Amino acid sequence: MKAIIAATISGVILMFAGILVKEKKNAVTLAVILLLALLGVNIYEVVSTPAAAPQAFFNNMLRIDRYAVWFNTLLTGCTLLYVLLIGKEIAKVGSHVAEYFALICFILCGLYILSGYNNMLMLFLGIEIISIPQYILAGSDKKNLKSSEASLKYFLMGAFSTGILLMGITLLYGATGSFYITNFTFLQADSLNVLALAGIILVMIALSFKVSAAPFHMWTPDVYDGAPTAFTAFMATVAKAAAFIAFLRLFQVAFGSLSNSWTLVLSVITAATLFVGNITAVFQQSVKRMLAYSSIAQAGFMLFAVISVNAIAWQGIIIYAVAYSVATIGIFAVLLKLKDYTYDGFNGLAQKEPTLAFVATIFLLSLAGIPLTGGFMAKYYVLSAAMQQGHLMWLVIFALLMAAISVYYYFRVIIAMYFKPGNPELNSPVTQTDKFLLILTCAIVLLIGIFPQLFLSV
Amino acid sequence: MYEVLFWFLTIMAIGCALGVILSRNPVNSVLFLIATFFAISGHYLLLNAQFLAVVNIIVYAGAIMVLFLFVMMLMNLNADVEPQKSRLAQLAGMIAGGVLFLVILAALRTASLSVLDKQSNDIGLIKNLGKVLFTQYVLPFEISSVLFLSAIIGAVVISRKEEVHSTVADGSVNTSDIK
Amino acid sequence: MLLMQINTAFIIEKVILISVILMGSLGVAMYATWAERKVAAIMQDRIGPNRAGPFGLFQPLADGLKLFFKEEIIPDRSTRFLFILGPCLAMLTACMTSTVVPWGPDYVTSAGRVISLQVADINIGILFVFGVVSLGVYGIMLGGWASNNKFSLLSSIRAASQAISYELAMGISLIALLMMTGSLSLRDIVSQQHGFWDGHWFTWNVFKQPLGFIIFLICSFAELNRAPFDLPEAESELNMGYHQEYSSMKLGFYLFAEYINLFVSSAIIITLFWGGYNFPFMDKVAGGVSPLLFTIVCVLVLLTKVIMMILFFMFIRWTLPRFRYDQLMRLGWKSLIPLALVNMLITGGVILWVLK
Repeated sequence: MKAIIAATISGVILMFAGILVKEKKNAVTLAVILLLALLGVNIYEVVSTPAAAPQAFFNNMLRIDRYAVWFNTLLTGCTLLYVLLIGKEIAKVGSHVAEYFALICFILCGLYILSGYNNMLMLFLGIEIISIPQYILAGSDKKNLKSSEASLKYFLMGAFSTGILLMGITLLYGATGSFYITNFTFLQADSLNVLALAGIILVMIALSFKVSAAPFHMWTPDVYDGAPTAFTAFMATVAKAAAFIAFLRLFQVAFGSLSNSWTLVLSVITAATLFVGNITAVFQQSVKRMLAYSSIAQAGFMLFAVISVNAIAWQGIIIYAVAYSVATIGIFAVLLKLKDYTYDGFNGLAQKEPTLAFVATIFLLSLAGIPLTGGFMAKYYVLSAAMQQGHLMWLVIFALLMAAISVYYYFRVIIAMYFKPGNPELNSPVTQTDKFLLILTCAIVLLIGIFPQLFLSV
Repeated sequence: MYEVLFWFLTIMAIGCALGVILSRNPVNSVLFLIATFFAISGHYLLLNAQFLAVVNIIVYAGAIMVLFLFVMMLMNLNADVEPQKSRLAQLAGMIAGGVLFLVILAALRTASLSVLDKQSNDIGLIKNLGKVLFTQYVLPFEISSVLFLSAIIGAVVISRKEEVHSTVADGSVNTSDIK
Repeated sequence: MLLMQINTAFIIEKVILISVILMGSLGVAMYATWAERKVAAIMQDRIGPNRAGPFGLFQPLADGLKLFFKEEIIPDRSTRFLFILGPCLAMLTACMTSTVVPWGPDYVTSAGRVISLQVADINIGILFVFGVVSLGVYGIMLGGWASNNKFSLLSSIRAASQAISYELAMGISLIALLMMTGSLSLRDIVSQQHGFWDGHWFTWNVFKQPLGFIIFLICSFAELNRAPFDLPEAESELNMGYHQEYSSMKLGFYLFAEYINLFVSSAIIITLFWGGYNFPFMDKVAGGVSPLLFTIVCVLVLLTKVIMMILFFMFIRWTLPRFRYDQLMRLGWKSLIPLALVNMLITGGVILWVLK
């Protein structure tokens, strides 16, 4: 709860900093300081939240447990890393730098709500709080037509999916008479309530849209490609993880006992997401667009955590969210250094900037799920959660197949960097600080891969 | 009397909602939508939620739809510029929509209305609404301010002109992006 | 609920009341046009209308007759239905607001029947007024757009943005007032302003909410499209405004609706801030005269106040020059809204710490 307040206050401070702070650099510094403070608040929350029972706030609107605050802490850490790595690029997007950071703080506020909500109203508010800033961030490069298109597309489709979410919530309320996810009375009812099922499907569709699962993924490539790269990195990682924790929470806590009725639908969505994401990513010519499709593919893996109603799923999502976020932020940081986003733009990067090429390789390996990197452990956890369910073997095998395909397009970048001659143009020189931060990010990726327990111990 | 009003408002709401999507002229669509809001406000009145009814009219019909109309009038849209979807897409949409309609219809047919709480009839009165809003629902009420704040910031970020000197600096980046 | 209480006497009573109010507002609006011209004439050192009847008193009738007999022209390229709907909506919304105004105290007949001089006492009275006023802009927008004339369109867009911008400040200034009254019903608000002096302070809200009153008044000018905010009708820029293509009685409706709005808005300002039908020493008067006479006196007091308010509106119109559009927007968004918010905060603080 303190984190929510702190995130809001940080956002408001940054908003006013937009008037007072003229120098773009200072805005970035201020954002880093505030995010550090936010991280501090989160760590304090981890320490002060009792491990046993969740704490209820405000008539049970929020039920925040140790797990939720730990998730928040890790993702706040990811955000901090993101701002440290990419902050300079954010400052180049437009003239409202402080406002962009304010919006990022609001997204964090939405994340904190989504990791601990206990009421459908809070779910709705949280989803909207992470969505609206994203619409704006997508369109922040106003002189670029593609950015405006991305923003408008995202906004229209997002508004539509919010409408579906609301309809689902309405039907669920009609079926159960409650907004509290822990009080849904169909948990006890013997007969299957069609009204509730229709509600669950609608909510599932809306949340699938927010996490860009197929067939509701249509917006993702255009938005991630059109949005300023600096913001794509955030939208594809932390904001997506926030939507996922909401998805997971709802389907485990509220609909867990009904899992028989929705597992099949969600498995089909998962399979479709994996298929569409991986196969389409193969055909992309631009690395940025490839990463957009790969984020769809990764969402397919994260959906495994939602499908499997067990304790490993909770651990899986935390590991997956962090490993995927860190690696993606890292690869976007590398991408932002380059002028040309096509595969050819990476040609010969290893000769020109060996450090950059090396860290990019580690990030890509992690995304592909090669052992010793975070991505491997993440995939291991979510897939073993599904294995434990028993009847999802076919899906797991399909996922492994798709993971093998994903190796192809991730390795294309590595091959371009190491084995193809060329002289890539850089946007800005790679400074010592950049190198240090990238290697630190790299170390985190490896740390997750080798000692995943570190990130699970709460 | 109550029944008559209910059915009148329901038919008006559904009819006008259909009018929104069926009319060719966007301005007519907007006007139908306004009429739909009126019908819904009427329903609120029947449920004794006067505050909600009037706020619905003030906010939606009085402000948001005026802005909508505003945009429609300035864009001068008409039926000719409306993009035409292919037959196949239309058919697919029709089937998908029809199936959803059937499912929801089936859901509503079997639904028991036991959860309807008939006792708290005065919840829509402004005093009770205010009390509920500031006690039971105080957190969503306050948190929604974050939502609005981010929307306001968004409006400022999107609508304010960028300073001139940054145009030159960013120009080169944009061209490479488009390429 | 409400539907149960309906009986014949009630219906007759209300029908009479509604007719009287409607006729009254039409009559006042009619003579407001005359008064406007007279006031303008006096302020500009002219004579004004003086041909039709004594002091030109039949002038409004002559004007109305003229409008009726004018040829009715519907432009060829206009959207016919909306073109006709525009003035109808303007007139409708203008007439609707008067329903919640309490025109006088309850009159108790000798048989013990209570006759309320208010058409409908809904507990969200003031919000109803807001709802109707916010719809009033549709009349202008639709008419302006349907005319298919760029000046009309520009004018209607001006009207709409002006109305929306000033509605915010108006609403916030009203919230401060409602925090003091604790009720949205105009009937309650008026009865709280009983008399003039309650032993500690003036009872009229204008003395409790002076800043709120000023903001509300300025916003009323903008909502009514009256000078100095009459940009939708800025002849020098827009030829004539949103009703450029209108002729005959449709034009008459627009012009007339404006004056009805003027009358009703004045009535509402008086009701909210200037004590409605209350006047000093009213208790003594009530003790001295028959109930019927007292009711009539109260209604007359209200009408006097309203007419003074209308005259004030007219004086302003003929005194101040018109704002420029950006000035108008700046005043609305950057001055009035923050001011109204500050007023709300101060009111909240006073209620919380001083009045407790």
